[in-house]
Amino acid sequence: MENRPDSPSEAVHERLTLHLDPSVLEELGPDFSLSSQFQILPLAEAQYALLKKGERLWVNYPDGEYCDFPFYRKNISLILNGLEKKIPPRSLAQEPFDLLVKTTQSIEKRVFSAASPGRHTKDLWDEIIRKINSLSLESHSLRDLTEKILSVPFLQSFETSLVILHLKGQTKAELLGSLWRSEKVQSFIEVKEFNAFFNSVKKSKIKSFSTDTFPKLNLPFNGSFLAKEVISRKYSLVAITSRHDFLSYGREEIELFETCIDLLQPHFERLIDQEFSDKRISELRICLKDFPLPLRIKNTVTGTAFQNDLMKTELQDQDIFFTKKVMGPFSLDLYDSDELRHYAFDLFHFQRISLLGELLNTLRHELSNPLFGLMLGSQMFRTLDVSVDNKDLMKEIEKNVSRCQVIIENFSNLYQIQNDPKPVSLKKIIDESLVLAKSEGREIRKKVSYHDETENLEISVPLIFVVQILFNLIVNSAQAMRDAEVRGGELSIRVCKEDELIAIHVQDNGPGIPEEKASQLFKPFFTTKASGTGLGLVLSRNLALKMGGNLEYMMNNESNGAHFRITLPVT
Amino acid sequence: MKKIFIIEDEILIQQSLKKLFERRGFSVDVSASGKTAIDMILANEYDRIICDLMLQDISGFDVIEESKKKFSAQDISQKFVIMTAYNSPQVLSRANSYQCRLLNKPFEDLEEAMRIMTE
Repeated sequence: MENRPDSPSEAVHERLTLHLDPSVLEELGPDFSLSSQFQILPLAEAQYALLKKGERLWVNYPDGEYCDFPFYRKNISLILNGLEKKIPPRSLAQEPFDLLVKTTQSIEKRVFSAASPGRHTKDLWDEIIRKINSLSLESHSLRDLTEKILSVPFLQSFETSLVILHLKGQTKAELLGSLWRSEKVQSFIEVKEFNAFFNSVKKSKIKSFSTDTFPKLNLPFNGSFLAKEVISRKYSLVAITSRHDFLSYGREEIELFETCIDLLQPHFERLIDQEFSDKRISELRICLKDFPLPLRIKNTVTGTAFQNDLMKTELQDQDIFFTKKVMGPFSLDLYDSDELRHYAFDLFHFQRISLLGELLNTLRHELSNPLFGLMLGSQMFRTLDVSVDNKDLMKEIEKNVSRCQVIIENFSNLYQIQNDPKPVSLKKIIDESLVLAKSEGREIRKKVSYHDETENLEISVPLIFVVQILFNLIVNSAQAMRDAEVRGGELSIRVCKEDELIAIHVQDNGPGIPEEKASQLFKPFFTTKASGTGLGLVLSRNLALKMGGNLEYMMNNESNGAHFRITLPVT
Repeated sequence: MKKIFIIEDEILIQQSLKKLFERRGFSVDVSASGKTAIDMILANEYDRIICDLMLQDISGFDVIEESKKKFSAQDISQKFVIMTAYNSPQVLSRANSYQCRLLNKPFEDLEEAMRIMTE
């Protein structure tokens, strides 16, 4: 017990006042317990505040500074730990401290040999170390630390301090810092340029350069500068400082600058770790959060590790549509939902159309030769000395062959998925749909009427989309009438212009759709038919929406039958 | 011009064309196989060779390539008439490289097709 440095008998701790945003508390979770050294106060009274702004974690410091970090649990606890360590007696975290000692020892020799020997050097040395320790403790971010470097005694004549940071695996390096001690800068540099620069700095013994040497780097100032590289497992970094003049630097200045950056390495490490190294994780998290399906990542030991906004509490295990074991104890679950169905339909529909297209194309090729043979054979026989009756019969054969050729040709054209649809006559589309639905709708009389000069109208929409909607409506109507044993069934298709749109009204005199069911018509898997899938109308509406139109059920109609309206944009 | 050779594996087309040509006074040989056709071309003298592209064993282009043993490029462009149901750009450009006549199946007009094949 007596060896515990934080035992109350040895050090009296000041309590830090802190404000935590409700969403920060939520992110920390119920298991998190705050150190007793913190006292929670309202925002206005607390020294420190952790807030959520958009996707970022904002930290307000008592000196009026604020920093933002990627918003996630690890960062919150890192910052809280950091704050805790600020509490007197001040001490560096153990790990950076060890590193510091090591670096210091290795550098000591160099500094002492560079500066003139004597008591004065020792004082300067102490002062630098003291300054570096305090400024790195005061720094809340890499940018902050970069700017504060200029307050180190010997660097006070410098105007600009920048760092270029490249995190391993990123495609760009980031330049940040300030010019003229005030103007904040931030830009990105191609990795190729950064690597070339980094290597030149690394190889250089004198560490002083001129901006002219690196025109591709686009450094935001002109003149000579000092640069020193820092390398770590996760990143490479170059620290740059300049007086904005063209004079060369003294040997002493160079050595001190190098020492200073070496001393700062553990602090760079800490700040980069806090701020950047998990940037990719944070970015991935945002992607997962915006993923358009309900999604949950489960830890088999601790339960839910992550879930996105679409994930609702009422979703149960039986709603899991897809689950995949990821890594370690984690698994990823996707839940069944309207969104999923929406995407699944598109895929389902596309696959169906392309399969049909392929089949029909093969069929057309396979049938083309035999049909041509029949045609030629018949034409040949007609040239022989045969009776007029037989000649007519031959002509009839040829006519039928031609019809077969036309039908198969039209079918395979119908199922071609075109990215850039050519204008097609609306009348042709409607006729085509009626031919397709001929066998299903053979008992009902069909009336087609065109108003507002729509008869000769051409529209640039995928032919198959409109045909499929019409086909669905005609077949639905015919089935409903058959089931209700309606006699004298009639289906009218009325085309007109309404509010700059083309409207196709499809109306029958069948049993109609009761009001309570009408509201459910476009819900996936809703069906009134014994063998229905409940997909037809959903698909149809999706297709209509895709063309910039819509498909609606018209509630108030006088005839009691079903009445649908397809709208399409005029093209 | 007297002797015509028809290479076509759809028997109904082959026989109908044969009868149509014979009624116009031509002498006609036929083959459904590309390989047999090559032997017949090398062994006989034909004034016109009407060749389908999609045969069961080899393609019509292979038949033309093999006939180069006997014919000059000019002979090929005059003697051969290519028949095809698949006029893709590749087929068209290859057919053009032999500079011979090309007929699409089905024929739009039988009389016109007969004229192209026999002139």
